[in-house]
Amino acid sequence: MFRIIQKSLKTGQVTGQYPAPTQPQPDVSDAVREKASVFGRSLTIREVDTGSCNGCEMEMNALMNPVYDAERFGIHIAASPRHADALVVTGPVTVNMERALKDVHAATPDPKLVIALGDCACDCGMFKGSYAVTGPVERHIPVDVKITGCPPRPSEILDALLKLQGRKP
Amino acid sequence: MVGMKDAVSGIQETFGDKIQRVELVRDIPVLSIAKTDLPAVALHIHSAPSLQGTLSLQWAADLRPRLAAYRIYYLFTLDGGAWLILQTDLQGDDRLFPSITPRIQAAKWYEREIRDLFGLVAAGHPDLRRLVRHEHWPKGTHPLKKDFPWNYIMGRQDGEYRFRHIEGEGVFEVPVGPIHAGIIEPGHFRFSVAGEPIMMLEVRHFWKHRGIEKLFENFGLMEGVPLAEKVSGDTAFGHSLCYGQAVESLLGMEIPLRARYLRSLFLELERLHNHIGDVGAICNDAAYSVALAHCGRMKERIMQLNDALTGSRFLRGLNRVGGLSMDLSEDQLNTVVLQINAVEQDFAELSRIIFNNASLTDRLETTGILKERTARDHGVMGVVGRASDIDRDIRRDRPFAAYDRLRFKVPLYRYGDVRARMRVRIDEVGESIDLIRQVRAAMTPGPVTVPVVAAATPGDWALSAVEGWRGEILYFVMAGDDGKIHRCKVRDPSFVIWPAIQFAVLGNIIPDFPLINKSFNLSYAGTDL
Ligand code: SF4
Repeated sequence: MFRIIQKSLKTGQVTGQYPAPTQPQPDVSDAVREKASVFGRSLTIREVDTGSCNGCEMEMNALMNPVYDAERFGIHIAASPRHADALVVTGPVTVNMERALKDVHAATPDPKLVIALGDCACDCGMFKGSYAVTGPVERHIPVDVKITGCPPRPSEILDALLKLQGRKP
Repeated sequence: MVGMKDAVSGIQETFGDKIQRVELVRDIPVLSIAKTDLPAVALHIHSAPSLQGTLSLQWAADLRPRLAAYRIYYLFTLDGGAWLILQTDLQGDDRLFPSITPRIQAAKWYEREIRDLFGLVAAGHPDLRRLVRHEHWPKGTHPLKKDFPWNYIMGRQDGEYRFRHIEGEGVFEVPVGPIHAGIIEPGHFRFSVAGEPIMMLEVRHFWKHRGIEKLFENFGLMEGVPLAEKVSGDTAFGHSLCYGQAVESLLGMEIPLRARYLRSLFLELERLHNHIGDVGAICNDAAYSVALAHCGRMKERIMQLNDALTGSRFLRGLNRVGGLSMDLSEDQLNTVVLQINAVEQDFAELSRIIFNNASLTDRLETTGILKERTARDHGVMGVVGRASDIDRDIRRDRPFAAYDRLRFKVPLYRYGDVRARMRVRIDEVGESIDLIRQVRAAMTPGPVTVPVVAAATPGDWALSAVEGWRGEILYFVMAGDDGKIHRCKVRDPSFVIWPAIQFAVLGNIIPDFPLINKSFNLSYAGTDL
């Protein structure tokens, strides 16, 4: 017990130790910001993978590590869509996941936001046209924010989320 | 340990002219056999004490238009690591081949996969439910047949997957997924429980099937790397390396030494950040979240290092057919060593703390035991295999990149529980760091890529293997006309290990499942393709 406390003290603070985002992200429109404003300073996210390669998932996970610590901005991950303010959808929407995506969207209470994360979710990326893919996400459910990149870096995801929350211009 | 020549001549002696033809394809013996004789020969290779072959891969190829036939291949890894391939042809309209699953458990998913993708039926298979194609796919949609368009628009039919049931008083089922609580990939798990302990688990996957193997066929041999990087995002380097190696051996390319060293270095960096992340995640699933925070921090450090070196946190865009797209400067190499030395000390401190935590040990020990016998029957290898006493590591058994010039230990544990899987990872972190230092010390200046000179003969193929951080990655690449890919079979180790997890959970309680699952940490994307 003492040793882990000692280790944590020795390590000190690491939050914020990451390079600034390099890849520019499209701006969040005023209408979407307006829509997001009902959630105030917090945003509860349910992540839905509709056929990603797991790269985007890993970066979402990284967002929760002590270096990015998205919780400090009121960003939480919910275990159920019923608790979510926003869905973050990754992947090109496979034939097999199409139903599940629609179900999740229906299960999320209104008002809700949908964020397409990664090139796959935004326009199917390399999987465009495949027999097994029916996406992109906006073909099935309305999308409010698109975060591009393959995968976008955690700093870029965080940037986009902060813009959505109105914490950043 | 058995030599390849002895093995082949022994099989020929036993089966005489049932072995129609023996050829060597890039040093791998390939035995052609009529389909009726195949099960007997396969069983012999599997069970003869001198051979003890593990079925490492089974796959099919549609040979049209060159030949009106389907060919089914069986790759066996013999005791000691030598490879042997059996092949059999289904001519013309023939759609039936005999199943080997009743005697060789490892074939179970492969044969179901072949049926879904090619419409070839494994006669005598005990479980012919659909695997890749979910029930709503219309009848007759077999995507890897050459006459199936890659951009086919899928209709929808009614259908229901029939889960296996256990009946009895007090038995009930708990369905979980495909969408889980947490940031994880989709998959469905159905538990049958009576009281607390799990009596049966059925894993149903392939929700993420994106048609990768079909998409490969749209590419030229030189263009497949970016797609291979997206098979399983966390193993981008391992997969692209394996694909690259397959094409390189198809084109007879010699990769310069510096590129081989760098490939080993990057592969070990990938192993490092994934293993460290996994150790943290296992601790977290036992409610020890401080360890997760520390591991997350170290993992992030390595991923930022990746980014600074290469412009990609996942080491994408580095591999190419013929070597690497970039070199590292002396300064960069020194930075790598400096950084990993710091991580080594940091991680060693943390792992001592982890191991001294009695309540954590209590959770991890004897949880989710995968018995050596079960692991062997399923052909399990990699981290999970080495925790269950399966002594296999491609880096040592079939050295690629620069591993023939590097020294390392392959950790091996017998218990097969969550703790053993964590220990394998912790040991491998140390080995990887040492490997990177060896690479640094041994590297000499030189080119990192060679130009392509040859073209591949249509129908020619190559097989390559890479020990990714999860285990053996295999790629089979067959050349088509005009430098295109005719067939690319991708195998992530996860495909092999998923069925085995169904046995590792038996007798455990459902709340321990996330912990067990995390200790396997298999890829869904790499399985579903
Ligand atoms: S956008 Fe890139 S990283 Fe994200 S899921 Fe698609 S292929 Fe993977």
